[in-house]
Amino acid sequence: MATEIVMPRLGWTMETGSIAEWLKKDGDSVKQGDIIFTVESDKAVNEIESFESGILRILPNSPAIGESVPIGTPLAYLVQPGEPAPFETGVPASATAAELVQLRPASTAIHANGHTIKSERVDQLHPTISPRARRIAGELGVDWQNVAGTGRTGRIVERDIRAAAEQIAVTTGSLRVSPVARRMAEDLKVDLGSLAAALPGQRIEKAHVEQAAAQVDSRRGVSAETRAPLSTIRRVIATRMAASLHTAAPVTLTTEVDATELVALRKQLKKDAAAIGLSVPSYNDLLAKLVAEMLIALPALNARLDGEEIVQSAAVNIGIAVNAERGLFVPVIRDVQTKSLRQIARESEVLIERARAGLLTTAEMSGGTFSISNLGMYAIDAFTPIINLPECAILGVGRIVPKQVVIDAEAEIVAIRQMLFLSLTFDHRVIDGAPAAQALQRLKQLVEHPLVGLL
Amino acid sequence: MRELTYIAAGREGLAEEMARDATIFVVGEGIGVRGGNFNTTQGLYELYGPLRLRDTPIVERGFVGMCCGAAMTGTRPIVDFMFVDFILDSIGEIFNQIAKIQYMSSGRLKMPIVLRGAIGIGGSAATHHSGSYFPMFVNIPGLRVVVPSNPYDVKGLLKTAIRSDDPVLFLEHKNLYNNKGQIPDEEYLIPFGAAAIAREGTQASVVAVGSMVRKTLEAADALAKQGISIEVIDPRTLAPLDIGTISESVHKTGRLLIVDETFAPCGIGAEIAAQVMVAGFDDLDAPIMRLNGLHTPTPYSPALEAAIVPTTQSITDAIQALLAE
Repeated sequence: MATEIVMPRLGWTMETGSIAEWLKKDGDSVKQGDIIFTVESDKAVNEIESFESGILRILPNSPAIGESVPIGTPLAYLVQPGEPAPFETGVPASATAAELVQLRPASTAIHANGHTIKSERVDQLHPTISPRARRIAGELGVDWQNVAGTGRTGRIVERDIRAAAEQIAVTTGSLRVSPVARRMAEDLKVDLGSLAAALPGQRIEKAHVEQAAAQVDSRRGVSAETRAPLSTIRRVIATRMAASLHTAAPVTLTTEVDATELVALRKQLKKDAAAIGLSVPSYNDLLAKLVAEMLIALPALNARLDGEEIVQSAAVNIGIAVNAERGLFVPVIRDVQTKSLRQIARESEVLIERARAGLLTTAEMSGGTFSISNLGMYAIDAFTPIINLPECAILGVGRIVPKQVVIDAEAEIVAIRQMLFLSLTFDHRVIDGAPAAQALQRLKQLVEHPLVGLL
Repeated sequence: MRELTYIAAGREGLAEEMARDATIFVVGEGIGVRGGNFNTTQGLYELYGPLRLRDTPIVERGFVGMCCGAAMTGTRPIVDFMFVDFILDSIGEIFNQIAKIQYMSSGRLKMPIVLRGAIGIGGSAATHHSGSYFPMFVNIPGLRVVVPSNPYDVKGLLKTAIRSDDPVLFLEHKNLYNNKGQIPDEEYLIPFGAAAIAREGTQASVVAVGSMVRKTLEAADALAKQGISIEVIDPRTLAPLDIGTISESVHKTGRLLIVDETFAPCGIGAEIAAQVMVAGFDDLDAPIMRLNGLHTPTPYSPALEAAIVPTTQSITDAIQALLAE
């Protein structure tokens, strides 16, 4: 049935108003909550939104923009798709009082000359809601702005929200929607009710939902944002990272390393381990072992700041940063200096698996003396990792990539070599730049001739 | 189980405690040979004699002050005021000494004293014999305030009051004295600060105080016939107040009415409303409402007297108004 749209009364003293602008054209599809037009009253320009969905049909003799007309003057109709507008059939619309109250201003910039406004009409202009109803509306995802209140003063109370939620469930439940479209509508937050109104008699398919979602996106633009509470993991990571940057004095040193021998070695190990069904040592495992060798030689980096003291650790316990679905975890491989590469490979395989499954214990993630973070698989060359306090340094590992390198400048010999950037971030409170640079230099040598470090 | 009246249940509790502990004694006007104006001590004089059931002259300030001193020395006095209105003559002793002495002595002195009496409007007792005054006592730190609504509670709470090392105002509504209830044969005590859910319901919570509990239950029965489900809470002690039970109920129902015969301004309803507003603001579906006795001296005329107190009908109306909010 056609719903009449009239010049609304926007304040108790308002007698006339004028259309400032039509925001929808004749024949446009209007969704519940859409702003149809703006009205200029004596106080302000107000946006008028629709309580219903349908096709907008503006009266041929509708007042012109800026023309002042009495409140209640017919302006347009909302009709269902395929339904002729009353002015086309010549039958006057039976506009009841209830239908006239389908519109309300979206803004609340209305004051009747400072008088306290007390009328049912104005209460509808300013919906009030009980705290409980507001809470439950949030829990059930009901947009209470469009709910009619049944409290004594027109206040929206719990029963109104529950009824609205039920209504939404009934409406969407009785629609003819393909299961894929229903799921997609939920994901993309497309209102199936209004989509159905725009497609009378049709079964809603995936394509309809996609189209509707695209329209919503284009209307919302890029400013749409979503909010989600911090997960426990995220909160812990946030606290740790911020604490590290606020506490430590991080400096990052970067060097490019020729990893050709390391690549060859890994290839060999992989072939060998795969042949006998053992864990294949990863680059991280190889680097852990080489880092341990470096730390034994330069123990100043295998240290932590404890109050007024610097504590050097005899054991090299290396944390490996693992990216799991729930966030970043750093399981620790203990006593790397005494373990064989094979042992390390086996342990790290188990720890990484447990990290991804979210099974790591606190013990498995604590006690590290140095960490390694590898972003090579994402084609990252170099980066500045954040120190995993209380440790004093962390190694950032980039990708291994073949490059043309000068081997002998005088003889003008170049060669293709497997190159790798290593970034060492250290805490300048604990160690100075020169010894840290020596450490990275030592690691560079070890990586370039890995057998020395793996003996 | 035996059926006892409210007054007999309280007296049984008193007798049990006096038999158990020889340091307990009762002081008041006509509580000796006469057995108390409301029969609160009937039969006890024969058992324990004038030393432990001590009649006094009409000097409230004097005998309350004396009991304060006695409590400091380690005895457990019970002052029976008959009509509690006359407690006003001893307010200085109660507020300034009894309520404060534990604090002032850093806890070295205890104040195990029970101040009991009949409260409330009823029987054309007129304006000097109809007061309740409990909001005033709830306002003072150091005092416990108990308002039993039925025979079972009066016995269990009186025994707890007598064993309390803090001073307790034990206020019994005179209209309840002849109400009967089932009393277990075995001994029991009811802790302070534990409200009772007198009736479970889902649509609105009503906190009713003292004599209002029974009337509210009648109103809830009447509404149940119309399919309306009301939860009735009897706080039993107002200090300490079990706001947790009240808040949980409001979480369930979303609506709260407090029914109290005493005056509304600065009353217990105002206190409960303020606390629930903070503890459960997001649970409220309607403004918290109060139904109180009229803010006026109590008239003698039975017709006028009946008109100033909440009735089953006015409670029913108030609940319906709350549901319409």
